[in-house]
Amino acid sequence: MSSILKRVLGLVVVLLGISLITFTVSHFAPGDKAMAIAHARYPGEQGFAPEILQSIRDELHLEASFWEQYLRWLGAVLQGDFGVSYNTQSSVWSTFVGSIGETVTLSLTALVFGLAGAFALAALAVRRPGSLVDRLAIIVASIGSAMPIYWLSLLLILVFAVHLDWVPAYGTGTLAHLVLPTLALAFWLMASQTRLLRSFILDAYDQPFIETLRLRGISEAEIFFRHVLRHAMLPALTMIGLDFALLLEGAVIVEILFARSGLGALLATSVLSRDLPMVMLLVMFFATTYVVINTLIDIVQMASDPRQRQGGQPTEKSI
Amino acid sequence: MSLAIPIMSHASPIRSFFVWIGGLTLILIVLLGAGLFLTPYGPAEADFLNRLATPSVSHWFGTDHLGRDIATRLLFGTFWSLGLSLMIATIGLVIGTVIGLIAALSGRGGDYALMRLTDSFFAFPELIAAVTVAGLFGPSTLNLVIALSVVSWMKFTRLARSLAVALSECDFVIQARLNGLNRWQILWRHLLPNVIPSLLVLWTNSWSRTILAVSGLSFLGFGVQPPQAEWGAMLLDGKPYMQSAPHVMIFPGIAVLISVLLINLAGDLLRDLLADPR
Repeated sequence: MSSILKRVLGLVVVLLGISLITFTVSHFAPGDKAMAIAHARYPGEQGFAPEILQSIRDELHLEASFWEQYLRWLGAVLQGDFGVSYNTQSSVWSTFVGSIGETVTLSLTALVFGLAGAFALAALAVRRPGSLVDRLAIIVASIGSAMPIYWLSLLLILVFAVHLDWVPAYGTGTLAHLVLPTLALAFWLMASQTRLLRSFILDAYDQPFIETLRLRGISEAEIFFRHVLRHAMLPALTMIGLDFALLLEGAVIVEILFARSGLGALLATSVLSRDLPMVMLLVMFFATTYVVINTLIDIVQMASDPRQRQGGQPTEKSI
Repeated sequence: MSLAIPIMSHASPIRSFFVWIGGLTLILIVLLGAGLFLTPYGPAEADFLNRLATPSVSHWFGTDHLGRDIATRLLFGTFWSLGLSLMIATIGLVIGTVIGLIAALSGRGGDYALMRLTDSFFAFPELIAAVTVAGLFGPSTLNLVIALSVVSWMKFTRLARSLAVALSECDFVIQARLNGLNRWQILWRHLLPNVIPSLLVLWTNSWSRTILAVSGLSFLGFGVQPPQAEWGAMLLDGKPYMQSAPHVMIFPGIAVLISVLLINLAGDLLRDLLADPR
């Protein structure tokens, strides 16, 4: 159990590191923060008296030392207070919660379709390694992972929205709006996962117990679905965890491209208008999600693999 | 994930890789040079009478909304898209390797601190971090390079460190230590030459990913700004016209796709050579 404890301690250290990096970037971002806040508080006014700016600086401790400001901010964040937006003066947390649903919907739909596609393609490929189908699967995967996702999105818009007029290109709302973004993200995910999944499945087939199962007369289908897939699942889980950040990142880019309202649009607008509290919350969210998911996956693996539970290294080669 | 450490007792696979890559690069440079020399157009040369022309003999890939020759702009764009990303990947390689080797050589405390710092940086998704930094500090080429460099070194650090730690338990390193070499001499003569091949595989991988990042960020408006002929910026330029003149967005995309595909193939080739040195 001590290895799990060590892992959790490491997580805490890394989370502190993430907060420090985020704070440093926003601290040194150009622009007068007091001026930005004054503009938000008194909309429509142009010039501000120095006393007003000074009172804002005093109120938010903008002239305190770097470390004092960092600790104040960290203290507030730990209590769940991410501050108010420079643009709207409303809580950034509520804006964030209002937008996250769109991104999660898009990511999860794409994850389901992308992984299903990748598993299907990999399963087809490994039936006869080196065959035409296998090579085709590898070619599709190679081209797909070299495909810029923004270009793929443009092509999809051009074909399915402009020429065929089947689905709307831009915006959010109906299920039809979800089709093209999901397609772009799922294809990209499928392409990036197929090759690894293929090698995981081939590795699983190399295990000695597969031969035993065959000798016992168990059908190939049952061997594949009950044993090989299960064996390939463990390395695949790690891979999906590592790529989950990539998925969120891809979702953000796709959202910007398809003008969907979600975290992507929120990130783009808040970055361009220098809405620092919003930017900090978003960046912290993405980084934290990534490390937390990876820690959880590590712990699940430690718990499910007896060789790692005792703190030893797994002996088989995993890739 | 376990790591295979290819010990380079014979440098032949690396050498044949460099012959390959060197040859390809030479051919590419000759083609580029010939193209730039032979093309009658300039990258910013507008011809308003010939806007959005479809591909023809005089304009192989057509012209864009200002009548600029797309083929010429793609050629010039090579320096932006491939050159910038090569630079960023190389910055990542150097910084990452140095930090990784320092971590491997310093004691447990230093190693722990450096690796948790690396983990912290690693947590930020590349494009999101780059959008944030480039957006907050103002979209420009310099800020794009800084933003992507800041998020490009961690993979090299992790690989360099784990390879170096594994290598320092090898007999020949222990032998070197017994012979009285200090840790920096061991680092320079024994660790570095043996970690470089694996790092080069990662470097090609990092280069192709950075091409996608550079062109993607430029396309979103956070990187190289139009009218520069960067491929992503060209796509951004052509986006409003894609319905009536799809060729303005087809060719820059193909250029990105083919470059990334070729560099990935080179990386696969290098990896296979290292895994199986005949």
